[in-house]
Amino acid sequence: MSVASDILQGDNSKFHMLDRFREINSTFPKTSQLLDYKRSGKKVFGWLCTYSPEEIMHAAGILPIRITGYSQETELDDGNAYLYVNNCSFSRSCLQLGLRGEYNFLDGVVGGSTCDGARRLFDLWRYYIGTPFHHVLTVPRKYTEKAHELYYREVVKFTEHLEEFLGFKITDEALCQSIMLYNESRKLLRDLYDLRKLDNPPITGAETMEILNASFHMPKEIFNEWLKELLREISVSGERNSGRARIMLIGSVLTNPEFVKSIEDQGGLVVTDELCTSTRYWGDPVVLEGTASPIRAIARRYLNNFPCARMFPSDERFNRIIEFVHDFKVDGVISQIVRYCVPYCHDLPLLTKRLNNIDVPVLALDVEYGTSGSGQIQTRVQAFLEMLEAKRK
Amino acid sequence: MTEAVNTNKIKAIVSACRIISRMNRARPDVRKSEMLYYQMLNNYFTRLLNARQNGDFIAAHTVFFPAELIYAMDMVPMHTETTTWMISLFTGECTDILAAGAELGLASEICTPHRGLAGAFALGTLPRPDVMLWSNMVCDNTAKSGELIMEMTKCPGFFIDHPFKDSEDERKYLVGEMEDMVHFLEEKSHRKMDWSKLSEIVARMDRQIELVREINELRKAVPTPFHSQGFLELVSVDYLFPGQPEAIEYLETLRQELSDMVKEGKGAVPDERFRLMSLFIPPMYLMSFLEKISQEYRALSVVEPFFTYWGEGELDPGKPLESVAKKSYMLPEMRMYGPMDERALTSIVDCAKQYKVDGAIYYADVGCRHTCATIKLFKDVLNEIDVPVLTLDCDVVDPTATSEEEVREKLEQFFELLEDR
Repeated sequence: MSVASDILQGDNSKFHMLDRFREINSTFPKTSQLLDYKRSGKKVFGWLCTYSPEEIMHAAGILPIRITGYSQETELDDGNAYLYVNNCSFSRSCLQLGLRGEYNFLDGVVGGSTCDGARRLFDLWRYYIGTPFHHVLTVPRKYTEKAHELYYREVVKFTEHLEEFLGFKITDEALCQSIMLYNESRKLLRDLYDLRKLDNPPITGAETMEILNASFHMPKEIFNEWLKELLREISVSGERNSGRARIMLIGSVLTNPEFVKSIEDQGGLVVTDELCTSTRYWGDPVVLEGTASPIRAIARRYLNNFPCARMFPSDERFNRIIEFVHDFKVDGVISQIVRYCVPYCHDLPLLTKRLNNIDVPVLALDVEYGTSGSGQIQTRVQAFLEMLEAKRK
Repeated sequence: MTEAVNTNKIKAIVSACRIISRMNRARPDVRKSEMLYYQMLNNYFTRLLNARQNGDFIAAHTVFFPAELIYAMDMVPMHTETTTWMISLFTGECTDILAAGAELGLASEICTPHRGLAGAFALGTLPRPDVMLWSNMVCDNTAKSGELIMEMTKCPGFFIDHPFKDSEDERKYLVGEMEDMVHFLEEKSHRKMDWSKLSEIVARMDRQIELVREINELRKAVPTPFHSQGFLELVSVDYLFPGQPEAIEYLETLRQELSDMVKEGKGAVPDERFRLMSLFIPPMYLMSFLEKISQEYRALSVVEPFFTYWGEGELDPGKPLESVAKKSYMLPEMRMYGPMDERALTSIVDCAKQYKVDGAIYYADVGCRHTCATIKLFKDVLNEIDVPVLTLDCDVVDPTATSEEEVREKLEQFFELLEDR
């Protein structure tokens, strides 16, 4: 079949489990799992960036979920008024949802000093939205041993702050169990991505994004079971997708599968990505080595994980992208950068040069968070795909 | 990029400084400190202009960087953002360097000081540095600007990872970063850090901060003695001459001048009407215009919480590296970098009260995300104590962002509002 799938229009027959993930996404943040969790007297925390260690919160009996914005491009009047128009539309979108009470069920918010948008979102959230618990972590921008030690100390302080708020200690045993649960999730997502390395992957990029969106908006215990079931479904389905060119999607935060679908509708086969809502979220496991404390293992993983453009040196990120280009046999890279996402803007000329050096063309798109990729974007994607086809001949 | 660089932007700054100095000498009312200031700028950029010819080691560095370490190693510093600002201030023209930055692939959302800087290097209008030094103080643009310049100019670089919050762990980490940078500089320059010289610089820096505090005290007087855009002199001196003898001479001279004026009950303008708080940096290309309009409306900036209002603390020359790290936490701008907690918000309120501020002007630089995100927050905090805030959309470097007419109209409306109160 063509990659121009009709999955997002509700092709219920393809994979049954996908519909369940979609239901999570379409009802978030009022999903039944979250509401059930709250009704049972447990706490739900929101986190603002992938450098917030989820396992710590989970080990404390908290359900950590990712704070995301509107699933589609939306007027951001409140977001603009509070964060001004020159902050990224992701931050403005998240803040607007918070200001309008959509995240009132949260018991805590955790952020990091990751980028200007994220830290200011945290600042304004703290000031204007009355979530009971707030914590912001200093996240170093380097990978040196000194940086690892500082981040470890930061995670320890976060843990202590959380314990003080909850009134009990988080045990190493609970941390180890949470690590195993989250690592299982990462392993399952890696299995899913491995399927996309095939010449004719059974699952599209848009479908994958549906799964990823659900992954940070629901309990991992349930997510893992659902994903296992989906992988079983896929393995017996015989589904195959083909396209005009194999595409890797990189850049800023992206959660709208319609954007991916708009590329796939034109014949681009989105086989992998480098996004904080996908590979940079699940990228690396926590490695519990010998007698190292679980917190130290968690801290090391979060700082060493597939890096955001904020990290230095940027070649760490570039090299990982190039590795993916080879592993997934990528023909062309589409960079989508949300306006005012400055770290990615700075990296683009350097990364483009490196990709061009290995003969991989790059299409650079300026977008707003939540865009579905219509109009001008479609025209540019179309031209890019034609160029890639011509190059292959 | 070729080694035979066209340094015409630096030449343009030097020429402008010399012309202003000549004109100042002819002015009967010129302040001695003003003469010193332009002479200092002239010397800074002349040294940079001649650095290659003199065999000096050029260390380019971003804003809020510990340039004390560069001076202690007898290198020639090139403050990158200030260089872009000065190009705009003295030539009123940045179109060529901004266009060159865009041609490199830098998006229009990247702030003009950094986009223009990259463009200026691409055009070869700045001298090639021997090293590029940068940090994440105070935003993503500073954090991300170094690698492209390193690649363009083929020079090695060092990035100082400045921790976000203030704790013992974080201060220790920052000192470690500085130690690593000193090793890097020693290796690249084949010269050793002169620790005793650094101690002297730290001692002077401590004095420098104290002098700015004393000047700020004098600015509390009604009428205020310092002219409206004078604070940019304080900022430039801090950025370009940390712990340098000429900075002490300038500040002591200025303090004496202001002290004399206060004793005489003399203000910077006759019949002062409005006392203003400046939030962030006004557009460089409008500086003369803003000075003129402040004279016309007798409205003066008396306090700038994020540029001249130092945090508490003293530096210890016996612990030079720790002191340089400590200084970075005392910087007025540091209040904008760490978490926007009560400490930062309290400082605005304290400034408004202590300096008897009638209103505040928020220079909303379209390229500066982390500052603009505080407009609403600061307005709310200041409005609570009955201080109105005017937001002026602008760009610190790019003259196409706003015009004199637009700014005049907004300022006039704001002054009318203040008058009505």
